[in-house]
Amino acid sequence: MLEVKGINVYYDAIHVIRDMSIEVQNGEIVTLIGANGAGKSTTLKTVSGLLRSRTGEITFMNERIDNMPPHKIQRKGLAHVPEGRRIFMQMTVKENLEMGAYSRPGEADEALDTVYARFPRLKERRKQIAGTLSGGEQQMLAMGRGLMSRPKLMMLDEPSMGLAPVLVEQIFEIITGLRDEGVTILLVEQNASMALQIANRAYVLETGVVAFSGPSGELSQSDEIRKAYLGG
Amino acid sequence: MAFLSHLISGISLGSVYAIIALGYTMVYGIAKMLNFAHGDVIMVGGYVSFFAASAWGLHPVLGLLLAITVCTVLGVAIERFAYKPLRQAASLAVLITAIGVSYFLQNAAQILWSSNPKVFSSIVGNTNFPMLDGRITVSLIALATVGACIVIMILLTWFTGKTRMGKAMRACSEDKAAAQLMGISVDFVISVTFAVGSALAAVAGVLLCSMYPTLTPTTGAMPGIKAFTAAVFGGIGSIPGAMLGGILLGIIEIMGKAYISTQLSDAIVFAVLIIVLLLKPFGLLGRHVTEKV
Repeated sequence: MLEVKGINVYYDAIHVIRDMSIEVQNGEIVTLIGANGAGKSTTLKTVSGLLRSRTGEITFMNERIDNMPPHKIQRKGLAHVPEGRRIFMQMTVKENLEMGAYSRPGEADEALDTVYARFPRLKERRKQIAGTLSGGEQQMLAMGRGLMSRPKLMMLDEPSMGLAPVLVEQIFEIITGLRDEGVTILLVEQNASMALQIANRAYVLETGVVAFSGPSGELSQSDEIRKAYLGG
Repeated sequence: MAFLSHLISGISLGSVYAIIALGYTMVYGIAKMLNFAHGDVIMVGGYVSFFAASAWGLHPVLGLLLAITVCTVLGVAIERFAYKPLRQAASLAVLITAIGVSYFLQNAAQILWSSNPKVFSSIVGNTNFPMLDGRITVSLIALATVGACIVIMILLTWFTGKTRMGKAMRACSEDKAAAQLMGISVDFVISVTFAVGSALAAVAGVLLCSMYPTLTPTTGAMPGIKAFTAAVFGGIGSIPGAMLGGILLGIIEIMGKAYISTQLSDAIVFAVLIIVLLLKPFGLLGRHVTEKV
């Protein structure tokens, strides 16, 4: 479904992604794990068009997307829920969700019902200004907003960041639920052990290169990875 | 009674400032740039309306609509050709370009229409209404200006609050990257913002020239600066702030002229701005938004 081949991304002169290739198949949860600064978020930003790769190609559903602007990539069915959630703090919960369906205004009402059914909390708070929500609610809003466009592939960047353990569990359950309903997931996480539990496959990034990759089960058994990323 | 009549003049002049300030504040809110050519778009609106009436004998309403059309196209073209290529450039480069566009428009107007002042005739005629048993008179243009300002405020509130494009504008003004991830074309939203701002500039130009009937290529410059001041005064980026700032500025200017000094009225306006910014650095209704890292 998504194929990233040989990309190189720079922040000015700093080479942050080196010859990276990753792949996501339809129906999978694929996770990118690795330390801070390994290039996980940069990879997602490059796929969604916010950053440009100098080389290589990115194909989504058999179409080259590496030269498209972000709003066109989103319209192909690729939703990116960015790091730090980036919800529109001064807009209401409902308006945030409506923005998620900006490219498909005709389907907004139906999509809104689906998102409210998944996140009843958002329905209760629909008239509230998004900036007044709690951290967990803001994460739900960010995910709900991503789902409003009915994406085929959803990229989630650190959905568990700053959340209490109970909420983290809940977020991970939601992610598995989405996969079961046919949304393919590319997940970036610092919480590597949780991510490996729900993912089908994983890529371990180290300073901009793929250090290891394989089925999550195998990776979580590997001594090297346990030591470096799973706390022993 | 004199006070009341000054107050009415102040509100009406302030309404023109408010309409201009809306253009500044919307463009700033979304494109994060100060469009110093905005004042000169007002002047172009004035000339179009002037020629529509004097040379082509069009009905004033048609003249106004023509001015709105020309200014809208002009505003979008300015953005497309002068500012869009600088989207990634330093904000100082954009600012200098805006000043350049301002001089370009003034000089183009001078070549096209000469620097001889044109005498503009009010689009609503020179009707005056006696009020309070004839103790004060209110001109029709003053009422029309205040009315236009109220209608524009209502329409803009509806537009930004209820329509899909208006909400996309608010989303872009908060976080452009996130807006793009929603499938919003930021370039298109910026074009629409310039279109709306410039259409408002045309309305302001026609109203301003109806109040102060001398039209020259630099007619837009001073009201442009004052309206920019009004936008900062109210809190740049805030639509209600631009309205409030504009009206207060108009009142302060007229009251300053009437009770303190005609020559000092502009200085008084800017002195008040300085005091407000010292006390409230983000303007009366401005919000401090922390930069996202």
